Amino acid sequence: MSDRYMVEPDLKAVKELTGSGAGTLKKCFQCATCSVVCPLSGDTRPFPRKEMIYAQWGLMDRLAGNPDIWLCHQCNDCSLHCPRGAKPGDVLAAVRRYSFTKYAFPKFMGKLLGDAKNLPYLLAVPIIIMIILLASIGHLNIPEGEIVFSKFFPLFYVDALFIAVSMFALLSAGIGVLNFWKDMNKSSNLWVPSMGLFPSIISTATEIFGHNKFKDCGVNKDRYNAHLLVFYGFVGLFITTNIVLVLVDFLHVETPLSLIHPVKILGNVSGIALFIGITLVVLNRLKNKDITSTTSYDWTLIGMIFALVITGFLAELTRLAGIAFLAYPIYFIHLVAVFYIIAYLPYSKLGHLLYRTVAMVYSKYSGREH
Amino acid sequence: MAEEKSILVVGGGISGITTAVEAAEVGYKVILLEKSPYLGGRVAKMNKYFPKLCPPSCGLEINFKRIKQNNNIKILTQAEIENISGQAGDYDVTVKLSPRLVNEKCTSCNKCVDVCPVERSNEFNYGMDKTRAIYLPHEMAFPLRYVIDSDVCEGAECGKCVEVCDYKAIDLDMKPETRNIKAGSIVYATGWKPFDAASIENFEYDKQPNVITNVMMERLAASNGPTKGKIVRPSDGKEIESIAFVQCAGSRDENYLPYCSTVCCLASLKQAIYVREQYPDSKVYIFYIDLRALGKYETFYQQVQKDENIIFHKGKIAKIAEYEPTDDLIVEGEDTISGNKIKEKVNMVVLATGMAPSIADSKIPSDITYDEFGFVFNDLQKAGIYAAGVAKKPVNVASSIQDATGMALKAIQCVRR
Repeated sequence: MSDRYMVEPDLKAVKELTGSGAGTLKKCFQCATCSVVCPLSGDTRPFPRKEMIYAQWGLMDRLAGNPDIWLCHQCNDCSLHCPRGAKPGDVLAAVRRYSFTKYAFPKFMGKLLGDAKNLPYLLAVPIIIMIILLASIGHLNIPEGEIVFSKFFPLFYVDALFIAVSMFALLSAGIGVLNFWKDMNKSSNLWVPSMGLFPSIISTATEIFGHNKFKDCGVNKDRYNAHLLVFYGFVGLFITTNIVLVLVDFLHVETPLSLIHPVKILGNVSGIALFIGITLVVLNRLKNKDITSTTSYDWTLIGMIFALVITGFLAELTRLAGIAFLAYPIYFIHLVAVFYIIAYLPYSKLGHLLYRTVAMVYSKYSGREH
Repeated sequence: MAEEKSILVVGGGISGITTAVEAAEVGYKVILLEKSPYLGGRVAKMNKYFPKLCPPSCGLEINFKRIKQNNNIKILTQAEIENISGQAGDYDVTVKLSPRLVNEKCTSCNKCVDVCPVERSNEFNYGMDKTRAIYLPHEMAFPLRYVIDSDVCEGAECGKCVEVCDYKAIDLDMKPETRNIKAGSIVYATGWKPFDAASIENFEYDKQPNVITNVMMERLAASNGPTKGKIVRPSDGKEIESIAFVQCAGSRDENYLPYCSTVCCLASLKQAIYVREQYPDSKVYIFYIDLRALGKYETFYQQVQKDENIIFHKGKIAKIAEYEPTDDLIVEGEDTISGNKIKEKVNMVVLATGMAPSIADSKIPSDITYDEFGFVFNDLQKAGIYAAGVAKKPVNVASSIQDATGMALKAIQCVRR
């Protein structure tokens, strides 16, 4: 061993990991069964065996800037075959959770989102902002006549609020991702560029849209459908929202759109996809509860996605049914859920769509993968 | 010593024989029960002991001689306990004896085997070859008498062996028998059985003939084994150029055998020597999590390490696959020192499977307690019933013998009370 290395264990971080879903971490005895049974791990420096010892020893610098923790899609084949019940799948999930906090900007947001107990405060933020906003324009009442949500919450204000929130989330995400990229560069010692940056991005996008990695999973192969539906549900809703924004703010189309309007259909179909997808997510989690543990942190995001999709449909249905005293409050709650999803994306579990994508690009770009 | 009761020893392997002989030689009556038709148990199936690499046959022979010279030992083969009642100092034991169908007149002339038309899988060689329905368990069998496997024998309808036997040693009408035995104390020396390798996922043990277990390797290397001691791979009899030993095959694994059997590492080191002695150009790969060679056995490990064609990789094999279209195999693991995956192509694979307690599934009907793995819990507070050797915990032969000697003393203390 020519290179000497001073081990500086971050014991606080180890405690944090064991307290956030990686309670089985210390059971690992480094047999490396996990690295072999992992369907996503390659031949050179496979994971997750090395990540297990980094985590046991609190070598957080080797974990945070390590793209491998994101190449893991938590198939849980490792956890099933682990001779010690050390559940590497859960440990890597906890390490990713640690990363959300580490790369959060501003820092306190990471801390807030890192603990499920803070949910009331996080929900209070949009509620207070929206109440102040509605009060300032004198709209804190249920409007008379035909139900049109913009009578209650003018679309101009909705768009202004959510564009501001999205910009802030985008900025936070950008800073987080940039710091993550820097850390990956720092800890990478095998830079053999095999692919340009642009081809790496294209290749990553192809993988994500095809959900190829999920197809390779063994134990958790049912999650392919679940995650695919959730993913495309969100993509569809994202597209719908942006088209509506253009239609209303620039082309001055009146809302609500009719039910047979193509954009409305896209929105409704996406919503249904999201609902089925997130339901399957829950069923899979319950089915695999012996192999993987689910923390209140996981349930929080699942709960918020349920709240989002259910209030979305209920708002639509009560509006169509003409039940004003239900429709407007449900619409309000729906906006709270939308706020949660967008504003907190970089720090919540949804942030995986940033970090995992970037890690996948990086690993292709740096020659880590293939 | 008025009205002394016998000591009942259950199991005729090296531990049971030791307890029986040690107690008998100081004057106590011993009844030794054995489930199979011969004594010697697992040790009789070994090729050599580690670390001295001497054959177990001489040790067994000395013990058989001690038994023969001693009138205090009564041996019942093909015997199984049906019930135990009573208490320390006064047990009533019901024993079921299966018929051997061959009596004591047998001279082991082998004429019967030549005419027997039925074949059976040879349990002594772990199914790697066959015997006829009438057979001698192995050439050093004690008692040295043939036996008929009544599960496959066609009985009186065939009767060819009866016709050919010059000594009227074959009695196809022999019936099972039940006997009641009085015992003052009981020693369980029920030993172990190899862990079922077929239950291990990703190892293809039941699909690939060239994936064998360590106990099968002992038979392949033994001069009285199915290949007369020449180690060749089972599928095509090819000589060995490369071989992989997979340590902790199912062991230290909560999905299979959660504990360490303490002997498999040393057994593989020993078997690596078997291969290297027969094939000077061969490569032997040993994949391990931790190599456990405790105490004096570390010297043995160091000796084996000196051979540069025995290559050690720290990292467990988690996958074994066929290397098509040959009969070779690919073993896959991560070398945790380099941090890279290893996929080694080898001619055959030996799974270092551990020792499971023999009576884990068929517990003896009595009030003894077992530990979480099915080994007998030796409750020394509760006099009367003791366990010796591997019935109690996985240990090597030398430790079993020491333990069995100690248990002879415990049993004696109980019958003298």
